[in-house]
Amino acid sequence: MTGTLYIRGHSPLHRIPAGIKLAALCLFGLALFALDNWIVMGLAAAVSLGLLASTGIDPAQARRQLTGPFIIVAFLMAATALLVDPLLGLAVGLRLMALLVAGYAVTLTTPVSAMLEVIERLFSPLDRIGLVSSAKIALSVSLVFRFIPVLIDQARVIREAQAARGMEKNILALLVPLIVHVLRSADDIAAAIDARGYPPAHGANRGNAHEHT
Amino acid sequence: MNTRDIVLIALFAAITVALGLAPRIPVAFLPVPITLQSLGPMLAGAMIGPVRGALAHVLVVLLVALGLPVLAGGSGGLGMLAGPTAGFIFGWIIAAFVTGLLCRTWTVSGKARPSKWADVGLTFIACVIGGIVVLYACGALWLAFVAGLGLAKAVSGVAVFIPGDLVKAAFAALIAHNVRRAYPIELK
Repeated sequence: MTGTLYIRGHSPLHRIPAGIKLAALCLFGLALFALDNWIVMGLAAAVSLGLLASTGIDPAQARRQLTGPFIIVAFLMAATALLVDPLLGLAVGLRLMALLVAGYAVTLTTPVSAMLEVIERLFSPLDRIGLVSSAKIALSVSLVFRFIPVLIDQARVIREAQAARGMEKNILALLVPLIVHVLRSADDIAAAIDARGYPPAHGANRGNAHEHT
Repeated sequence: MNTRDIVLIALFAAITVALGLAPRIPVAFLPVPITLQSLGPMLAGAMIGPVRGALAHVLVVLLVALGLPVLAGGSGGLGMLAGPTAGFIFGWIIAAFVTGLLCRTWTVSGKARPSKWADVGLTFIACVIGGIVVLYACGALWLAFVAGLGLAKAVSGVAVFIPGDLVKAAFAALIAHNVRRAYPIELK
């Protein structure tokens, strides 16, 4: 994994608060699905591309991210145009393009921490009534980051040991020992987290570690 | 939801992400390469159970939304959650849940402990129903909606990927069986 998709910058889109960008993106998406006119979709796609260009992204990087989805969109556009209606196909293709590009532009200009803050704020009513815990969400996000390099390293170690014994590449022989290994370490990690009294008990900063079952 | 549950959820989210990093297999006539990533929901459901498996994939969706390149080929971001394949990404949550539910009903809480091949076979069927039937239903419904294609055409469009996913379901069943034997975990 190569960092995040966010790029540093000072474009107008960078300066808008994350919450407003996300709300605008939702409204944009809803509006696009409420309409079926290809001219409106074309305008929306043009606006999205303009926004993307305004972020100052390296075009090569944008191409890397968008080529795959665009191939699928082109495929769908052709299918809808041929099988249903040419103008509807055009509207479908432009709508998906607009959504993909606008979403990408927001992602490019919003740091992960700001996005996480918005999501925590969205969950805060549920947090208050005890349905979800922001601390647990934050803990699991950071655990994923910790596990990915462990998985990759361990896969390499197992693969090298097997190659040294003359074993062919085999997905089963790789994944079974890999998953057993990380499951064993999961228990140690859970014990270590509990020993540090994390995540904090609901709504408290008192450092008591009693609410862990 | 104790700490061990959170660690297992994060671990299986990380496994789905790591499977997306594995080399992709390009297929000549398909517009998208086949990836190992859809193995993730099957494995999570079959190994940690319906609720934790589903939550692991809620976490993956959250990581995509945060703008992390966690999908196959290093893609991610909000655009992917509204794009043509969004139904499959959200569908992972339901796929893991159904796979886990079936595995728990059939293989673990069954009266007699199933023999080796019965366990592999039942896990395989659970993976096919959860990780293929349910997942493709989600993917095709979204595709039919965004492309205005109608459900039948959308289903036939995604059906070309089913043979590859049947192979993945077989791998998932074998992996889950062998891991369960070495390290049994209660499915929940």
